[in-house]
Amino acid sequence: MAAQTPELVPLASDTAPVDVATTHASTEAAHGEGGGLPQFEFQHWFGQIVYLIFLFAILYWLIARVFTPRMRRVFDERETTISTAVATARQVQAEAAGQAEAAKAEVEKARADSRAASVAAKARVTDEANRRAAEEEAVVNARIAEAEIAIGKTRDAAMANVATIAADTASAIVERLTGKAPSAAEATAAVKGAV
Amino acid sequence: MADPLHQFQIVPLVDFGTVTLPVIGEQQLAFTNSHLAMTVAFGVVVLFLQVVTAGAKVVPGRWQSAGETMFGMIDGIVDSIIGHDGRKLFPFVFTVFTFILAMNFIGLFLTFTATSQIAVTATFGVLTILLVLAIGFAKHGLGFFKLFVPSGVPWPVLPFVIVIEFVSFLLRPVTLTLRLFGNMMGGHVALKVFAGFVVVGVGGSVGLGLGIPIALLSMGMTVGLTALEFLVAFLQAFVFAVLTCIYLNDVVNLGHGH
Repeated sequence: MAAQTPELVPLASDTAPVDVATTHASTEAAHGEGGGLPQFEFQHWFGQIVYLIFLFAILYWLIARVFTPRMRRVFDERETTISTAVATARQVQAEAAGQAEAAKAEVEKARADSRAASVAAKARVTDEANRRAAEEEAVVNARIAEAEIAIGKTRDAAMANVATIAADTASAIVERLTGKAPSAAEATAAVKGAV
Repeated sequence: MADPLHQFQIVPLVDFGTVTLPVIGEQQLAFTNSHLAMTVAFGVVVLFLQVVTAGAKVVPGRWQSAGETMFGMIDGIVDSIIGHDGRKLFPFVFTVFTFILAMNFIGLFLTFTATSQIAVTATFGVLTILLVLAIGFAKHGLGFFKLFVPSGVPWPVLPFVIVIEFVSFLLRPVTLTLRLFGNMMGGHVALKVFAGFVVVGVGGSVGLGLGIPIALLSMGMTVGLTALEFLVAFLQAFVFAVLTCIYLNDVVNLGHGH
């Protein structure tokens, strides 16, 4: 790019006289000092500067009074909206957390209740079983006692029979040995003494 | 080949005649192509901002989004460079930015670039520096001159530093003016030169065997440079706005910091 610049100047000065001579004669004459850059034709400066300051002042006024406040309002509004939304979200979250806590407590309570119920049921069932077992046992014991009594009776009867048989046997033996049967009372007394 | 400087010629469209003013001499009063370009740029900015802010909603549409990006960008640099006091100065910086940006862009679409006129860029530069001076004297009175006396400089070198600071302050409007002017003018001259080569190439004066490749290459350059010029158009408006902020910051926050 730097190589281009030097040849621009001769180009400009080369063409300038041609322009003056031919097409742009009138404008070049009006430009007076002419020659170099068109930007240095000072007779156009005043008009441009005044007009630019005029436009700048209007634009500044519009931006300062109209556009900037509008933008700031939107920014502020957005900030408010966002912070409100965030606050709401936080609140909702807190509520949800509270509800979750409550639900958890409820579940915990239900679990405890069911546990207690199961324990109670188990106790009740155990009691029932124990009671039934005791009843059965009582019945069985009663039967055992009955049976024992019956056995005792049977044994006594048997024993009585044994004594009678023994007395009979003894009297029979005595009769065979002596030829003379002892009296029943004697036999019985003798057996009783032996048994 | 066409004169690449012809595009910068001021052409009166409606002539109001000439007047001779006291100090500045003879002036031509006319509505020129420069005035037209400025007016179009002004109109585009106002229209754009009107469209952007008129039905501004919390959830922005396309146009509002574009405007908000621009607004937010300038708001960001004003806020980050000047600080909280910068809010009051935002409209000025935003006006400078949008107006220059519009002029730069209009220059890429139409035949005349207002910001390639040194009268226009000088007006922006001087306006900025006048605002700096006004704020400086209004806020600090004669304390404004402390701007040229940086703190923490050993006294033997202080006089030199003061001279350097003073001269650099005086050069601020000049550099503001010339940077914008030079960039815009240089870019448009380069564009015109390469575009001229295209015409020369296909014109046949150098023979079509050489002319067509020249024309093609130059066309490529012109397209590339046009893209570059769009970047420059934005960048120069942005740089102008940033420097405006920096110069304003010097006087707004004079004495604290640096």
